[in-house]
Amino acid sequence: MEKQAGAAGAADGAGPNRKLWSTPTGGLAAGDNLDSPTGSHVEWCKQLIAATINSQIGVSSVPVDNKARRRPDFMNLPALRYGSQATMFQNQVPLLPGETVQTTVKDVMYICPFSGLVNGTLTVTDYKLYFTSLERESPFVLDVNLGVISRLETISVPNQGENTKGLELVCKDMRSPRFAYKAQEGHPDVVELLAKHAFPLSHSLRLFAFLYEEQFPVDGWKVYDPTAEYRRLGLPNESWTISKLNSSYELCDTYPSILVIPTHITEDDVRRVAVFRAKHRIPVLSWIHPETQAAIVRCSQPLVGPSDRRCKEDERFLQIIMDANAQSHKLTIFDARQSSVAVTNKAKDGGYESESFYPNVELNFLEIPNIHVMRESLRKMKDVVYPTIDEAHWHSAIDQTHWLEYIRLLLAGAAKIADKLESGKTSVVVHCSDGWDRTTQLTSLAMLMLDSHYRTLRGFQVLVEKEWVSFGHRFAARVGHGDENHANSERSPLFVQFIDCVWQMTRQFPAAFEFNELFLITVLDHLYSCLFGTFLYSSEQERAAKEVQSDTVSLWSYVNSQPEDFTNPFYVDYEHHVLCPLVSSRHLELWTAYYARWNPRMRPQVPVHQTLKELLFLRADLQRRVEDLQREASSRSSSSFSEHSPSHTAGTPLHSAV
Amino acid sequence: MLTGSKTTFKVRQMLPDIKERMLSQSGVAARSRDVFGLRCLPGECVLQRAIMVRKKLTAREGRGWVSGTLFCTHFRVAFVPQDSPKPDDNADPVLLGDYDVALASIEKVVVVGPNRTKLVTPNSSLKFTPEELVLYCKDLRVICFLFDRLTPDAQVIEITYTIAKTYQPLKPGSVLSFQNAALGSVEMKQFLSNRRRNTHMNWFESASDWEQELERCGATGWRVSSVNDRFEMSTSLPRSIVVPQKVLDTELKKSFAHFNEGRIPRWCWRHPRGSDLLRMASFQNNIYHEKDDIRNLEMVLFGCQSSLCVVVELGEELPSPADIQLAHGRLRALSLGDISTSVSVPDDKWLSTLESTHWLDYTRACLRKASEVACLLRGGHLTVALQEADDRDMACVVSSLVQVMCDPHCRTQHGFQSLVQKEWVMAGHRFYSRINYHRDNDKEEAPVFLLFLDCVWQLFSQYPSRFQLTDDFLLALHDSIHLPLFSSFLANCQRERCKRSQNLGQSYTPVNGWRDVESSSDPSDPPLPSVWDWSLQYSKHRRDRFTQPVPPIPPLQPLLNGNLNTNPDTHRLADTIPGSVFLLSRGIFSCPANLLPWRGGSSGVYKKSHRRAASSENVPGLERLLKAWALAEFPQGLTSTAGPQGPLDPYEPLLPLLMGPCMGLWKECYLRGALHAQAFSHPISANHPHPVELLAREVQQLKDKLAQVSTSTDPSPPTKLAEPRRADTNLNQNTNNGTFLFPASRPPSMAAPRAAPRAAPPPTSTNHQTSRGPPPASAPPPRLGHKDNSGGGGNKHTFLFGPPPVAEARLDQRYYPAPNNAKLPKSNGSSIAS
Repeated sequence: MEKQAGAAGAADGAGPNRKLWSTPTGGLAAGDNLDSPTGSHVEWCKQLIAATINSQIGVSSVPVDNKARRRPDFMNLPALRYGSQATMFQNQVPLLPGETVQTTVKDVMYICPFSGLVNGTLTVTDYKLYFTSLERESPFVLDVNLGVISRLETISVPNQGENTKGLELVCKDMRSPRFAYKAQEGHPDVVELLAKHAFPLSHSLRLFAFLYEEQFPVDGWKVYDPTAEYRRLGLPNESWTISKLNSSYELCDTYPSILVIPTHITEDDVRRVAVFRAKHRIPVLSWIHPETQAAIVRCSQPLVGPSDRRCKEDERFLQIIMDANAQSHKLTIFDARQSSVAVTNKAKDGGYESESFYPNVELNFLEIPNIHVMRESLRKMKDVVYPTIDEAHWHSAIDQTHWLEYIRLLLAGAAKIADKLESGKTSVVVHCSDGWDRTTQLTSLAMLMLDSHYRTLRGFQVLVEKEWVSFGHRFAARVGHGDENHANSERSPLFVQFIDCVWQMTRQFPAAFEFNELFLITVLDHLYSCLFGTFLYSSEQERAAKEVQSDTVSLWSYVNSQPEDFTNPFYVDYEHHVLCPLVSSRHLELWTAYYARWNPRMRPQVPVHQTLKELLFLRADLQRRVEDLQREASSRSSSSFSEHSPSHTAGTPLHSAV
Repeated sequence: MLTGSKTTFKVRQMLPDIKERMLSQSGVAARSRDVFGLRCLPGECVLQRAIMVRKKLTAREGRGWVSGTLFCTHFRVAFVPQDSPKPDDNADPVLLGDYDVALASIEKVVVVGPNRTKLVTPNSSLKFTPEELVLYCKDLRVICFLFDRLTPDAQVIEITYTIAKTYQPLKPGSVLSFQNAALGSVEMKQFLSNRRRNTHMNWFESASDWEQELERCGATGWRVSSVNDRFEMSTSLPRSIVVPQKVLDTELKKSFAHFNEGRIPRWCWRHPRGSDLLRMASFQNNIYHEKDDIRNLEMVLFGCQSSLCVVVELGEELPSPADIQLAHGRLRALSLGDISTSVSVPDDKWLSTLESTHWLDYTRACLRKASEVACLLRGGHLTVALQEADDRDMACVVSSLVQVMCDPHCRTQHGFQSLVQKEWVMAGHRFYSRINYHRDNDKEEAPVFLLFLDCVWQLFSQYPSRFQLTDDFLLALHDSIHLPLFSSFLANCQRERCKRSQNLGQSYTPVNGWRDVESSSDPSDPPLPSVWDWSLQYSKHRRDRFTQPVPPIPPLQPLLNGNLNTNPDTHRLADTIPGSVFLLSRGIFSCPANLLPWRGGSSGVYKKSHRRAASSENVPGLERLLKAWALAEFPQGLTSTAGPQGPLDPYEPLLPLLMGPCMGLWKECYLRGALHAQAFSHPISANHPHPVELLAREVQQLKDKLAQVSTSTDPSPPTKLAEPRRADTNLNQNTNNGTFLFPASRPPSMAAPRAAPRAAPPPTSTNHQTSRGPPPASAPPPRLGHKDNSGGGGNKHTFLFGPPPVAEARLDQRYYPAPNNAKLPKSNGSSIAS
């Protein structure tokens, strides 16, 4: 129980904080001032932020602290123990290890879209922007990490006097906080400073992940070991081999160094196939069915071109893939694109496999639009959920963003793939154009449906590390870490879409996933935050060159150091169960807990997360007690006890008569 | 009968069979079993049956399908799964089995053949052998049967014809014959007459019932008046009404004429902070007000609160019955996904179409109005009178919603039943006309009660841990509305109910199926069963699902005592001029001169009333009360729930969030029939037991085990048990909202309420299913501790969720379904995360 020791440590750590906080307000006995119905909206926003992002490292220690105060004697429920700010003084900004304050600006007004103006102090560090209101008793805290900022805009602030400047931070996570401040002579302009640290790569600075010095007891970089993962899948076997062809990334610079390819193919053939596939992304195995040997194979589009080029090696390659699965004499290719787009790609030297050149191959188009459509859809979504929500036309506004429709297309596509493998026992090849966006979404979702291992907390991390990170989803370009070019057309919320699909599945199968909603939100928050190295850069090769593993901390270190916060207490291990989500739009919902979480009115009516966590502890506690008693029982009575029906000695009627 | 038609011929052919069976049945026993396992009601006879039929299961039932025998009797379409346990012949009759549907619930019969679908009417003839039979029900269920290749074609066609002929395409007479079919037999009447009514709930039929409620609410200053005992004052009001103590019956009698239908202001409920909730109809303006009348009227209206009265006008912002009917019609059309007309909404328009039904707008409007009223009542010591033109529709909705929000008692099953009894059945909601069982009054039809159920569901989904009843209960009630069998819904007011039961002895013959009146000494005893007689309608395991296995935290005070006056807002209203009356309309308070008709018109009278003019001074105070909910403040929900250790005020109203994203669609009700939801071969249900319940069950199992282990080791269990129980109490206090308040002990049958034995699916499954093992519904209930206890420790997983004993028997299959808990149908759609 080393966890408990850690918890005790955290509780001790919270002690001094508590004192420091309560002194100015005049000696609060048990810190129960917050339980009084203050009802002020500021309190609200703070609570809200605490509730929704209490996983975020950057979040003020205030909510964490509150929790410690609220429940001084509740078991040993640790608040987030790791990654929270270590020291905190009155009116001082909680800092992460390695974080430094850049500037502090007084008399700043936060223009809250829900409650009006809030006066306070703004602090900018190299990781975050931290605003506290002047109120002593229950200060309003706004904490925005700089990585989440998409662009900075100056806005006009009428009626606030001369010299007042307005600033809007347009964020990637569906909010746009606004501030008004007085420009001061001699001080560096806060906008410049923000821009410098929000977009470090554009200003020749390092990302904050390289400055972050937190020590976690668990090393998240060890979560994914490709060889071990392939071994778990029963690889290598007689048909598939683990190849080191790409160990120095010369075969394909966006693929990982370890690939699984068919055994019966020569190195030269592989190289010829690489030339025929866009970006040299040859067909490689992602997942194999342990029983039928049907495989999910991913690749990029074939470079067919307008003249319908052929590549004998490529055709043979797919034939071998088909032959590797004895259960089926067919191979299904899922092209994620819209068929019309696939055709136009031919003119751009791309294209799709012709069924006449590839015998026994069935080609399906999944009709999923491209990254630009997705980006636009999410942009519309932001208009719908922030800052105001139109009550009367909420549903039609959601319809008009088409976001759920694209979620449906993705889930339906993944379900088709999973069904092909599971029911059809047929191997599938999945590709889109380059094989790193829609392909990744589809293969990872299909694997999530097929393999219960990926539904565990650790397994999901492996899935993300494998399908997304190592296979070169271009996080750097899609998210734009530290880059100020917000209009870059390469940006697109594909990973957000994937997590949304996962969330939809957790809604339909609430007991099938070991992780909870908070975990998914945490992953998305740190997709942008640049605090961890996990999602930085676009390929394994690049990451190796930047020494990400040695110089940054993995997000999984943070998560796995406190798994109880991210665990679903209702998880049941459905081993070998295939999940088939319903994909009609009637069964999909908008993930308001993520998209609309900044609206204080969207608070959950019951504190879900804390409750879940407590349940987890309760369960563990009861379990332990039963085991103790059982041990005691077996030691006392050597003879097995009689078939004792659970008769209730103290049977108080449950439903008392009313 | 239409002679000569093909169908008639068929039916006629069957007749000897029926006759024979009826004879054989009556010869043996009243409650007999068909040879194929259908347990008939007394007097019920099987008209037709088909073997080897598969029934599609909805997501709620676990998905996939189950195979068995399909029956059509003259009362229901019944389905008996293959390996269903042999029913106990001596058990009380249950009207409908788990897979059955009453003929009166069926709205449409559709058959699907090769490449075609056809609507089957009593007169239609089939030119193909159906492969699938789809029954569209009025309660939005869609029940789908698949005929196997092994089902004899003749049986398929005949049962289709029989169902099409026997189900009731709503004619005035058909309801009576349906009732007769269900309850008309001598044995059934005997059985019904011997039934005792539920004593755990308040029926609000007699004066003592009302007195009990007054006592429960701690409402002093009120008395029960029997002035309407013979329905002479008001035909639609109940016999007993609650009026201020200081008003004498003689004075009261003069008030009736001043209100529409004589529905004078009556007390409904008292908020623990001392505010009273009243209902009344609108004023009759064309009556001359005498001096004394006015004094009486004001006394009646102000009740025992001398200070302040707020009249809440319900007509303005709430939907009219016609609106509700239209919206519900649209919602039905949208939800059912009717294959016979193949009208389906494209996926990308689903939400827009849903919005355009306005159903959610109407639920929101009702909840908003109720929240306003709840906030007013919370202010303490004022009287809130709900006024509606006839006081029989939206007043029922709002007054009962207010009580559900504010009174934890109303969130228990029995409390809720009492509430419906008080605010709907006895208050004279026109169930009979609004439901329109006879289809002879389309103009009046409006599912007001269903709108109310939806509102309650919205509250439930936002505060699942504050309810003792479950959405399963709401769903059962929803379905029962469509069954024209219950006295609760077959009349428009108490008078009609009484009239019928009194007339019964003379003019009604047993043909009508009504129980003889002589058996009951109480004349108001309904001749038809009450809807609250759940054991008549549903099997035990369905009923077990009506309540949360883990009840919400009990109120701190055992009773509402009217003295819970801790509200800081009170002083703002304390200086109120006595006798001020305000009108709340569209969220704004006003004191129009002509609000009380006797005031505006003749100022002379008004001066003599010894009350001062209503000033607008108090308006800000009142508005502040409202603001607490309506404006940008979020005081209560947060403070009461965020501090899990702080004392939770059980009477804080559950104020719902009404923004677009927060109003959900009751998918378990409206979308359960959607055919695409009945997808095949999904091994795991998308719907799981309420997570809370799952955990509760698990905890219960652990506890049982604990108890067992301790009893088996220690002959003196109390000391042993004491320790864990104490710890539990601790834990309970620390969990939020009492969501997870675990009872120290509960009967084992309750611990696994969802775990109903279901028939195993047959081996003739699709590829998919055989490879994955049988669908989840087959898994048996988790046994409580004792089974795996013998194994010592047991593996952790098994231990946690209870092992499916059947799984061991199926080890030959590589994949066997994981513990069945998760598949037991019960879902908690949006509640946990939203």
